[in-house]
Amino acid sequence: MSPTAARARDERTLHGDLGDRSGTAAVRYEARNIAKAFGGARALSGVSVTFEPGEIHTLVGENGAGKSTLLKIMAGIDQPDVGELVLGGEISRSLTPRSAQLQGIYLVPQEPSLMGELSSLENLFVGIIPRGHLPFSVDWKEMERSAGAYFQQVGLHIDPWTPASQLSIAEQQLLECARALTHRCNVIFFDEPTSPLTARDAEILFELMGRLRERKFTIAFISHRLEEVLAISDRITVLRDSRVVAEFDDPKKTSREQLVEAMVGHEIAVRQRRNRDLSSAETVLELENLSAPDGTFTEISLKVRRGEVLGLAGLVGSGRTETAESVFGLRRATGTVLLAGRPYVHRKPATSIAAGLIYLPEDRGRNGVFAEVEVARNITAAIVPHLPKRGLLLSQRAEQAVAGGAAQRTRVVTPSLGAPIKALSGGNQQRAMFSRWLLADPKVAIFDEPTRGVDVGAKADIYGIIDAISDSGVAVLMISSELEELVLVCDRVLAIYEGHIVGEIAGDDITLERLGAMIVGGSQK
Amino acid sequence: MSAAGTSSADQLAARQQRTAQVRRFMRRREPPLVIVTLLVFGVTTLLKPGFGASNNVSFMLATAMPLAVLAVGQTVVCLVRGIDLSVAPVLGIAAVSTGFLAQDHGDSVWSMIPLAIGIGIGLGFVNGLFITYARIPPIIATLGTYTVYSGVQQLICNSATVVTLPTQYEAVGIHDFIAPIPWLVIPGIVVTVVMALILRRTKWGRSLYAFGNNADASYRAGIRVNFVQLSAYTVCGTLAGLGGLVYLCKYTSAGYVSGEDISIQLQSIACVLIGGTTLTGGKGGVVGSFIAAIFLTVVLEAVIVLKINFDWENAVVGVLLLAAILVDAYQNRQGASMRYSLGRMFLSRPTARTGATS
Repeated sequence: MSPTAARARDERTLHGDLGDRSGTAAVRYEARNIAKAFGGARALSGVSVTFEPGEIHTLVGENGAGKSTLLKIMAGIDQPDVGELVLGGEISRSLTPRSAQLQGIYLVPQEPSLMGELSSLENLFVGIIPRGHLPFSVDWKEMERSAGAYFQQVGLHIDPWTPASQLSIAEQQLLECARALTHRCNVIFFDEPTSPLTARDAEILFELMGRLRERKFTIAFISHRLEEVLAISDRITVLRDSRVVAEFDDPKKTSREQLVEAMVGHEIAVRQRRNRDLSSAETVLELENLSAPDGTFTEISLKVRRGEVLGLAGLVGSGRTETAESVFGLRRATGTVLLAGRPYVHRKPATSIAAGLIYLPEDRGRNGVFAEVEVARNITAAIVPHLPKRGLLLSQRAEQAVAGGAAQRTRVVTPSLGAPIKALSGGNQQRAMFSRWLLADPKVAIFDEPTRGVDVGAKADIYGIIDAISDSGVAVLMISSELEELVLVCDRVLAIYEGHIVGEIAGDDITLERLGAMIVGGSQK
Repeated sequence: MSAAGTSSADQLAARQQRTAQVRRFMRRREPPLVIVTLLVFGVTTLLKPGFGASNNVSFMLATAMPLAVLAVGQTVVCLVRGIDLSVAPVLGIAAVSTGFLAQDHGDSVWSMIPLAIGIGIGLGFVNGLFITYARIPPIIATLGTYTVYSGVQQLICNSATVVTLPTQYEAVGIHDFIAPIPWLVIPGIVVTVVMALILRRTKWGRSLYAFGNNADASYRAGIRVNFVQLSAYTVCGTLAGLGGLVYLCKYTSAGYVSGEDISIQLQSIACVLIGGTTLTGGKGGVVGSFIAAIFLTVVLEAVIVLKINFDWENAVVGVLLLAAILVDAYQNRQGASMRYSLGRMFLSRPTARTGATS
């Protein structure tokens, strides 16, 4: 068999049931008057959106506004109650995820959903694994040969035999994109792809999206990061409360404030950074030459004063979370931790909490919430030994009161304190996590990505909470990938790069530009 | 906001809270399980009037009790995402040890309680050590100890069986406290109520739920996770040991097949699932398991009196188990849409915010 003939055969086996859409005319995808309710509550009502080829069309809105539901319906994952989907002029009926993919629609989810133990190669071709010569066999050679081209198109430089679980989140995301290409999809939806990514990785993803736009792909994008939305979009649709409330055709001429106003329905006060003089306050937390045995961070020294908010800026993987986890007692480290001037050795979470040191983890789902447990009991989880008792048993009424008070302070919105916490939105779960840790009456609070995956309104509230507790004298160490919030909230910021502290700025010197340069290891001057 | 506005918002919030409470109660497993049990009982009584007779009710309740006590223990390990396959031989060892002593020396039931419990604590603790410190998956660790414990049970029996027990055992095992409630129901209820209170209203109980939901988050919240896991298996073993004594009273005999003969490990797991506790941990409770033990026994007895071939027993247990799993799966799907609807409900009604009125 000649090489060309072999390739033609491979092409058939690989894409036999997909047809060949590569290079075909770009396709417009339209949702008309879609309505969807989940158990009586509206998720979408009368939403019509058209996604044009060669355009990055962004959906924005607060959590629960209906953005993800719309994309899920358009990708066949959920079925609409009312309305129709029109793909390239033809009405698509009863779309399933598979039929959507066969028609060229691919949804890249927020958290990559790959098969962790399988190789990147198998993940890339899952569903369309090419047949070998024997029945039920797999043509591994063909997979390996054609994978390279797809990896190259998305800018992924990995060994195709690497298990997907060993890839970084960014690489997994790119692998999802590559999968969309192997499946010959020309309508690609990105549901908050950047929220687990660092700014630099997001940049790589945006470049890819830009290239796909040039190739006339039809692209939908969801993000909470408004700067990137304004920078990359060709069109922005704002959803609020299950409806489309605004459309911006020219993002270049749209301001962030306009977007926010459309999203929340009223203007949110623009936050000003606070300048406070804390140089005379005593040091509450001090790290001296803290180093990890595996080198994820090296000789970290820092001081946090009473009432101060110290930011720790750095990329994901720079060692910031690992440093915090060592202080809280989740990892081993050499060096000294001083709490209120006294050495704190044999660190363990339970001891830390008792000593007034708390740590709000970055991954709420994995390290924070007890999904099936009631909101009230999630809130009191860290102080159960101190709850009031009646005889040998915990007093339920007293506990409700404690939890209720805490929930009110952080403005948790919940149907009732007895509902399982999984019923709450991300923002409200995060508020409940704040309640849990504030109930422990901390003197030192470490907040790791405190606003990850929460909407604009909840963000403002969380900044308010941090302001309030620092005013009450709590020393706060705040880790964040969102440079803007470091600028707005922190009194002082340390930058960490590849496990080393590379710079420090304070007061009005804290600017986006300087932070941006510092976290990639640039000089602080 | 005006005073009137505040109070109407409060009323709204209170009403919503009540609705949510009612809805949650209806979504619990216990009420429908009681209803179904009564239905099976009623229908069978209509077909075979003898089924509803006082002595048969008493007989069924007594039969359910060894299972109920073990199911409560099994629930505890299931709450921490575990499973204990070794409960049958733990019950067996406790039954034959106490049985032979009573047969040879005529000891009273009461004096045997510490021994039965002691055996359970020891064997359960060993399970816990393997799982907590050797980090062996529960299903494998307890499959291993199941085999070892079965061997020990045979060694103790040395091909003898307990046949003659002091009359007190029969009195406790067969006679009624008040017709048609047999004495044996008392340990079952005490164990269930005490454990239910412990689970819901003590630090330890709360730690179990937290650990079962999210082990890492519970460690971060200051919970002693190793202790929680180790103690859960110890408690399960303890109740299996106590179950051995209940078994001995009920059947007034014991031998190397005790426990196995009523395939109690499988049935106890079935009770946990039918009672609404998930094998994925952190959700459920012991009351459901207790009711499920009665339910399962009533169904199996009904199968017998309706002259359906007794060989159907295992198949019936299996079918009920699958039914419970299906109901679970269905409710979870409902739950997924619930989650969304509750979130939506409050986003569209800002007055219901806690704190919005302050």
